[in-house]
Amino acid sequence: MKVEAIEYGDRKVYTVASFNRGVADWLSRLPTIWVEGEVTELRRNARWQSVFFTLKDPSDGACLGVTIARSRFDALRLDLANGERVHVFGRPELFEAKGDFRMRALSVERFGLGDHLAALERLKKKLAAEGVFERKRPLPFLPRRIGLVTGNDAAAKRDVLTTITARFPAARIVVAETYVQGPLAPTAMMDALRKVSEAPEVDVVVLTRGGGSFEDLLPFSDERLVRAVAACPVPVVSAVGHEQDTPLCDLAADARASTPTAAARLVVPDAAELLNRLERARGSLARGARGVLEGRRQRLEQTHERLRRAPALAVERKRARLEHSAGRLRALSPRATLQRGYAIVRSGDEIVRSTESVAAGDPIDVEVANGRFGARVE
Amino acid sequence: MTFEDAQRELEQIVERLERGEAGLDEAIKLWERGEELYKQCVGQLDAAQGKIEELARRAESAKPA
Repeated sequence: MKVEAIEYGDRKVYTVASFNRGVADWLSRLPTIWVEGEVTELRRNARWQSVFFTLKDPSDGACLGVTIARSRFDALRLDLANGERVHVFGRPELFEAKGDFRMRALSVERFGLGDHLAALERLKKKLAAEGVFERKRPLPFLPRRIGLVTGNDAAAKRDVLTTITARFPAARIVVAETYVQGPLAPTAMMDALRKVSEAPEVDVVVLTRGGGSFEDLLPFSDERLVRAVAACPVPVVSAVGHEQDTPLCDLAADARASTPTAAARLVVPDAAELLNRLERARGSLARGARGVLEGRRQRLEQTHERLRRAPALAVERKRARLEHSAGRLRALSPRATLQRGYAIVRSGDEIVRSTESVAAGDPIDVEVANGRFGARVE
Repeated sequence: MTFEDAQRELEQIVERLERGEAGLDEAIKLWERGEELYKQCVGQLDAAQGKIEELARRAESAKPA
């Protein structure tokens, strides 16, 4: 296509139409390529030749207008909805009448399972490298209030509420119901998370939904939500029902639970069990006090027993000493000498100590150990 | 006099008596003093036990249903 310039002396000037045509012509030479993004502002009208939508980059929000022939779009039978991830095959195009840049799509493919898995793996690596999964704060022993982010009318919500109330009847819970599925879920959950975590006295937040298909759980791996969980001012317990594929929000949370019920057990202690332990502690306290007392009493009784025996012992000891002295005294008395065979000889009242003091025929008195008898000197 | 003080004096008395150092008159006096200390200690233990049982009873009745 030839673009003619108008000449004003040396200057070449183009009309708008020719400028647009020139750019469009140049763009049309670019190759046909695949572009990935999120579908927004999808507009289809049976009277229009084309279907319009905007392809949005989920990480930074960059936008690209897309058109596709309505017949082609309908033939794809995608039943596409806003928020869905797609791959679009097409080439850049300038709508000349308006000077609008956009993409002319030839085909649209919904993001497949393999694409999701690959994207998830890339995101996981990237967030791990940034340290988004590293913060693990301890959960409060007894939260003043508990934030609960869950789907409305969900079994998960009922499980959490029932378990918390059964374990700790006085627990107070702030519930934020939200979409947990579909394209709007990530931002809705982020809003809910912010709302409950900023509510007064909320010390821990539970983020939960029951099981679901891989696609159902994708919002829980949305980069924005995962970052919001990691940045939450209070600890987050993530309990997103799943078997093998761990949603990334589970990794970013401070604690993860395999079921909503398990999450409830993590955030409140079992009051009955606590009371039981307290009772047992009180029991051992009383036992301990009685034990101390019993020990004192035993020692006292032993001492008393010794005291009771001590005076008798002292008297006995003194008696023994006395006996000992008596023995020695007796050993020194003449009687002991008589025992050995000696005799005391008396003449009248005088003890005979020499032969001169008696004469033959004198009566004498002889004392031996066991008595006396009379005798006569020869 | 604290329980511990009384107990300590009582034990010293018993040891003195058992070593047989005291004179007879003194031994009798020590014994009397020992019995007095023993009574005092027992009284204090009984009082403590009463308090413990009372507290245990009160704790038991305050137990939540």
